[in-house]
Amino acid sequence: MTDPRCKRIFALLSDYLDGELPSSNCRELERHLQGCKPCIAYLESLKTTIQACRKYQVRQIPRPSPRVRAALLKAIHK
Amino acid sequence: MNTQVQRALEILKSGDARAFDRALESLQAAVYGFGMKVCGNREDAEDTAQETLLRLARQLKDFPDARALAVWLYKVAKSQCLMSRRRSKFAPAQMLSLEALMPAQTEPAGATLKSWEITPEEVALRQEFRGKLEQAILSLPKPYRLVLILRDLEQLETREVAEVMGISEDTTKMRLHRARVHVRNALADYVQRAAPRSPGRSVAPSVARPVPRRVDRSADRRSPAPATASTGRRRHAGRGESATAPSGTI
Repeated sequence: MTDPRCKRIFALLSDYLDGELPSSNCRELERHLQGCKPCIAYLESLKTTIQACRKYQVRQIPRPSPRVRAALLKAIHK
Repeated sequence: MNTQVQRALEILKSGDARAFDRALESLQAAVYGFGMKVCGNREDAEDTAQETLLRLARQLKDFPDARALAVWLYKVAKSQCLMSRRRSKFAPAQMLSLEALMPAQTEPAGATLKSWEITPEEVALRQEFRGKLEQAILSLPKPYRLVLILRDLEQLETREVAEVMGISEDTTKMRLHRARVHVRNALADYVQRAAPRSPGRSVAPSVARPVPRRVDRSADRRSPAPATASTGRRRHAGRGESATAPSGTI
């Protein structure tokens, strides 16, 4: 990705995937993608990365401590 | 906002004792989970959950609505994580340059495209991939790690992430992009070695679609091609960060 157009597109990819890219940039990006395999491939890999992040969940959550439970229970009855 | 957190806070604010344990369980999962993702160890995650939820008990009634309370809750959890005693063994101190993160010219486009045809479901189930993803996230400098976790793992909106972090939306987006690219690059070797080859699947049709989000963003969603937005320079946070300089080091 040494082409200056690719460099410019590269900086816009996250906003594009989030649906937060202004329309003029969006059109420019989509025009560029029509003929640029490296940018298409990178966009797809970024999309997969984001989806994997969104599916990531922490396992083995410990129970809340009795102190926390008591404090919150008291707070809701205030 | 993370709908699970918001719903749990609504229950607590309403004083519904019957739903209390369920709400507490959700909040414990959210705050402990956030601590684990940011700090990378159980001790700091437990401290984060304990201190954050005790502060919540003291200030539950101080906020007008659950959304404001949820933003505050993440701010407290973030501060707790920043004070964590144990430094991540992966986290470097330096900032990320987009120029340095760009893929090499020699990266084979066809091979890359094919390898990343692996589905999110496939990658989510693989223990090894999970470990690589955790490692990649923990290897981010904290300002980037926090933004990525809040936006992509906790699924807050950009403006909410900006609020929690105390930075502008433009700076949030810039950090988010660099963080995602860093994680993507860190995973690339593994994915290209491990991805199953699924003949006949095409990447191209999905390229133009934004990533669907689990949370409801209907109120302020912008389409991939909003009609009136401008790219002009906006207000930015301090700290010398320029959100419009794609190749700069921040």
